[in-house]
Amino acid sequence: MQPPAVLPKSIVVPDFILRTSSYLWYYCQNAVNAVPGSHYVVDYVKRSHQHDPYRTVVEIFLIIYGIVYFLRKPRKQGFQAGPKLSNKEVEALLDEWQPEPLAQDSSKVEWRTQKIPVALTSCSNTYLDIERVDEAEAVKDVLNCSSNNFLQISSETSVKEVAKNAIHRYGVGSCGPAGFYGNLDVHTILEYDLARYFNTENAVLYGQDFCVAASVVSAFTKRGDVIVADDRCSVSLQNAFQLSRSTVYYYDHNDMDSLEELLQQLQERELQDKLPALPRKFIVTEGLFHNLGDIPPLPKLVELKRKYKFRLLVDETFSLGVLGATGRGITEHFGLDRQSSVDLTIGSLGTALGSSGGFALGDNVMSLHQRIGSHAYTFSASLPSFTVTVGSEVLRRLEEDNTAVKKLRQLANQMHQFFRDDQELRNVIEVTSNNDSSVLHLRLTDDLRFEKFQYTEDSLFEDINAMHSKYLTDKHIEYYELEEKFLQQIVDFALKEYGVLISRNTFVLKHETLPITPSLKVCCGAKMSDQDLFRACNSVKMAILSVVNGKSQ
Amino acid sequence: MSSISNTRVPLVKPPVKSVEDKKANEYGPLTSKNYLHEATSRQGEPLQELVLDTPPYYVVVITYLNYLILIILGHIHDFLGLTFQKERHQDIMEKDGLAPWFSKFESFYLRRLKLRIDDCFSRPTAGVPGRFITCIDRISHDLNSYYTYPGTVTMCLNLSSYNYLGFAQSEGPCTSSALESVDHYGVCAGGPRTQLGTSDLHIETEKLVAKFVGKEDAMVFSQGYGCNANFFNSILDPKCLVISDELNHTSIRTGVRLSGATVKAFKHNNMEILEKLIKDQIISGQPKTHRPWKKILICVEGLFSMEGTMCDLPKLVELKNKYKCYLFLDEAHSIGAIGSRGRGVCDYFNISPSNIDVMMGTFTKSFGAAGGYIAADKNIIDRLRCDLTTTNYSESVPAPVLAQTCTSLKIIAGDLNPGEGVERLQRITFNSRYLRLALKRLGFIVYGVADSPVVPMLLYAPSKMPAFSRMMLQRKIAVVVVAYPATPLIESRVRFCVSSALTKEDIDYLLRHVNEVGEKLFLKVSTGKSSVSRNGKPHKWDIEEVIRLTPADCKDDKYFEE
Repeated sequence: MQPPAVLPKSIVVPDFILRTSSYLWYYCQNAVNAVPGSHYVVDYVKRSHQHDPYRTVVEIFLIIYGIVYFLRKPRKQGFQAGPKLSNKEVEALLDEWQPEPLAQDSSKVEWRTQKIPVALTSCSNTYLDIERVDEAEAVKDVLNCSSNNFLQISSETSVKEVAKNAIHRYGVGSCGPAGFYGNLDVHTILEYDLARYFNTENAVLYGQDFCVAASVVSAFTKRGDVIVADDRCSVSLQNAFQLSRSTVYYYDHNDMDSLEELLQQLQERELQDKLPALPRKFIVTEGLFHNLGDIPPLPKLVELKRKYKFRLLVDETFSLGVLGATGRGITEHFGLDRQSSVDLTIGSLGTALGSSGGFALGDNVMSLHQRIGSHAYTFSASLPSFTVTVGSEVLRRLEEDNTAVKKLRQLANQMHQFFRDDQELRNVIEVTSNNDSSVLHLRLTDDLRFEKFQYTEDSLFEDINAMHSKYLTDKHIEYYELEEKFLQQIVDFALKEYGVLISRNTFVLKHETLPITPSLKVCCGAKMSDQDLFRACNSVKMAILSVVNGKSQ
Repeated sequence: MSSISNTRVPLVKPPVKSVEDKKANEYGPLTSKNYLHEATSRQGEPLQELVLDTPPYYVVVITYLNYLILIILGHIHDFLGLTFQKERHQDIMEKDGLAPWFSKFESFYLRRLKLRIDDCFSRPTAGVPGRFITCIDRISHDLNSYYTYPGTVTMCLNLSSYNYLGFAQSEGPCTSSALESVDHYGVCAGGPRTQLGTSDLHIETEKLVAKFVGKEDAMVFSQGYGCNANFFNSILDPKCLVISDELNHTSIRTGVRLSGATVKAFKHNNMEILEKLIKDQIISGQPKTHRPWKKILICVEGLFSMEGTMCDLPKLVELKNKYKCYLFLDEAHSIGAIGSRGRGVCDYFNISPSNIDVMMGTFTKSFGAAGGYIAADKNIIDRLRCDLTTTNYSESVPAPVLAQTCTSLKIIAGDLNPGEGVERLQRITFNSRYLRLALKRLGFIVYGVADSPVVPMLLYAPSKMPAFSRMMLQRKIAVVVVAYPATPLIESRVRFCVSSALTKEDIDYLLRHVNEVGEKLFLKVSTGKSSVSRNGKPHKWDIEEVIRLTPADCKDDKYFEE
C-alpha cells in the first residue's frame, strides 16, 4: 500500500524519512479516528487553525513548555544545590559531627535540688514535718509559710470526706479527655459552680494550672493579632505569648500612662495600615503578680480597654479566693462586675481553692470554642473526680461563710504591716507585694544588692537578654546564683533556728524573658493563729538580719 | 445567665448495688483460662511493614462527595444566616469594634460540620469508666445547639476509655491506698515542686517509675499534656533540630514549638526517609548559616493512638546510635499496655531502655490515675529538676493520684497481689488480638499491629461517623469516633480502646452488634489484602464462625502477618 503524499515532489527529502514520517502520520490519524468522538476534537483543531494559524503555534509551544516543566526535576532547597559530595566526604562529615550533651551538667545547680523540702505530712496544714536530702536533716512541726493553699479549707476533715466519697464513687482517674467520655457529671457541676461564683457565663476546666494561659491564648490568636502585656508577667504568660504567633508589646509595669501611650500609637498605626480584617487585640495582666505580689489598677485598665476596643485577659492564679470581701478576685476588690469588665480570666484550683487543676472563665461563645480549639483541653485527660468535687465543696463553703477570706486578709495585712514598718529592716529589704496579698514578696534593697553582688535589676535583664539572643546553652550568671544562695541562707536559717518554713521565689533564668529579681516568699494561711503569724514574722526578720549581718556562719 | 444552666448536668445518684456487682461492672471476672495470652517478645526483631488495606475507589469518591455536599450546604447556610438571621450569628461578626473570637472562616468546619454531629462527643458520664460506663442521657435541640437532660442514664459497654489494664476501679487495693493518702497528705499538693510540692510519696513514686521503666531516675507531673508541652524548652533551643514523626501528638508539637527548635517531620514510621533526613541534616546543618546543629532529637511515640501502630524501635535505636542523635519516646499509650511485663515498647521488642535517652509516659491510661512522667539518666533528671518550668512554676501532683499510681505499678510489677498483674496483662493482649482479628475476618478495614489495644476501624464517609456512634449507643456500646483533623481527611474512623476489664463474652456482644451495624452502614469494604485467609475461606466470614474460631486463632501470629 502506498502511503499518501504529503509534500510536493519539488522539495528533496531523503526517501526513508519521507516514508517513515508518512507512515507515522497515517497510523496516528487512524489511531485518533479510532477513539469515539475524536472527530469533534480534530474538527475543532482544524477550524481554529484556519481562523488563526499563529494560535496553533503558540498553543503547541505552551504544551511543550508544560511537558518540560512537568518533567523537570524539582530544585532542591539548601545544601543540595551546592557541590555534590562524594561518599567519602559524606562519611567524614557524619563522623565529624559531635552533638552537645542532651542536658547540661548539673553540678552548678545541684544545691537547688538539695534545698527542696520534702513534706512528710500534709502540705496544707499549718504545721508539718519535713526532711531534706536523703533524710539527713529532718525537722518536725515546722510552721508552714510556704504553701499555696492559702484558705486551707480543703485541709478540713469534712472536705477530705468529700474527696474520699468521690474516690469511692468514681475511682481516681477519669481515663479519657473530656470529649471522649472523660466528662463526668461532677466536672460540669464544678464548671457551673465556678461560672456562678465568679459571675461569668461559663467556665472551662483544665488538668494543670500552668498550661491554661498558653493553651487559651494560642487558641484565639493568630499571626497579626495584637497582645499588649505588662512587662512583669510570669513565665506561664510569657509562654502563652510565644505560642500565640501574635505581635506582643509590653508596657511598663502597672503604668497606665505608658499603656495608654502604647495603645494610642497602635491605634494610629492601625488607621494607617488599613488592615483587611480587624485583628483580635488583648491587654494581658495578672490579678496578683506572681513575681512581685502587687496588683494592677483594674478600673483604669477596664476604661482603657473599652476606649481602645481591646479585650482584657487577667491571670488570677494568685488572686482568686484571696482578693475581695468574699474571695471573688480582683474585680470584687475594685468593686467591678467581672462579666462586663474582664473578658477572660485564668484561675487555678491549686492555690487558694486548695485542690488541683486550672480553669478559664469567660463568656459562652469563647468557652465553646475553647472546648474545641484549646489543646490542653481537647488533647488531655480531664481532671480526677476528687479534685473536682473538692473544688465544688470549697466554693460552696466560701459562699456560705467568708470568715476564711476575712481571716486571711487580716493576717496578710498584719504581715505586710510588720515588714513595712520595721525600722531595722528598712535598709535591708524591700516589700513589693500588696498589703492584701497572701504572699509576702521580699527582696534585697537595690543598694544592698549592689553592695553585695554588684548588679542591678536592669543589668541582670541586659545580661539575660544577651544570653537569649546568642542562644547560649549554658545560661548561668554567677552573681545571680550568689544572690540566690544568699537568700537560701535566710530560708535555711529561719528553718533551722526558728522552725519556720519559707521559700525562695524559684525562677529559672533560662525561661525568663522579662525582668526579674531574686526574692523571698512568705505565705500565710487562714488557719494560722495571730501568734503563729507573729512568730513567723519575727523569725523571718531575725533570719534576714542574722544572715545580712553575717552572723549565720 | 440562662445560658449557664445548659452546661449543668444533673448529678447522678450512685445506684444501689451489692459490692460484688459493682466490682464485676468495673472489672469483668475472667470466664476461662483460654482467654489469656502472653505477648511474645520480638527479641530485637524490627516490625514488618504493615499492609494497609485500601478501600475501593467508589468509597473514596463517595467520601469526597460527602464532604463536598456538607461544605456546599454549610456555605449556603452561612450565606443565608448572615443575610437574614444576623442575630443568630453574632459570635462570628465584629461587635462593638471587637474582632470575633473566631472568624467565620476559621470556625466554618466547627460550626457547619462538627456541630452537626456534636451529640457524639463529650457525652457526660457518671461513675467509674471501667468495663461499663454510665452515660447520662441527653436530648439534643436545634441541631445540637443545646441539650436538656431527662435525668435518666444508660449503662454502656465501655470501648472508649483509655482504661487499658482495668485499673479504673472504685474497690480494691488501689482505691484503698488512694483513700489512705487523702487522710495523710490531704488533697492539695501545696505548690510547685521546688517550693513546697514535694512529699515523700512523690519521691517514692519517682523511684518506682524509674525502676519500672528501667531508667536511672524519673520525675512525675500532674498532667501528661503539660509534661510534654513544657519539657522541650528546657533542653532545646533554636540551634537544635527535632526530627518528628508526622503523627506525633499535639503535646509534643506544642512543646517543640515553645522551645523554638527547628522541626523536620518524616512520614509515619518510614525509617528510610528518616535515615536520609538525618544524614542530610547533619551534612547541611542549620538553614542559611550551615553551622552544625547543636543536637538532634528524634521524637516518636511508642504506640500511636489514632493508628494503633507501633514505632520501629530496633531500627530507631540503630539509627540513633549510628548518627549520634538523641531519642525521645512518648509511651503515653504503650506503657503498661504493651509487652509481656507491661513495660512498654522496650519490653515488646526486648530492647534495653538504656538505648533511649528520654522516656515519657502517662498514668492516665493503663494506671487509672492522672499525670505523666519523664524518665532518663540521673544526670539529665538532676538538671531538669532545676530547669523545667513545670517543676518551678506549676502545681505538683496531688497525693491520691500518686497513691493510685504507686499501687497499680506494684500490682503490674507483681510486688503486690502476685498473679493479678500478669492476668491483667494477658487479658488485654488476648482481648486486643481477638477483637482485631475478628473485625478483619468480618470484612472491616482495621489498622494497627496485632498486640495494640487501640483498634481503629475505618468508616471513611464523615456522615457514617454519627450514624455508627448513635447506633452503637442504642445498642448500649460507648465508642469514640474520630475524623479530620485528628486523622487524614478521608479516613474517618471509630477507635475501640480495648481493656482488660472486658470479658470475651463482652467482645462477642460487641462483635455481633458491630457486624449488624456494619452491614447496614456498608462498612465491610475490606479487600482481604491485609488479612490471612484460613483454609481458603473468603475474607468476609459469618459472625458465628468468627466467634467460634477466632479465640483460638488470634493467639497465632501467622494470621496477622503476610
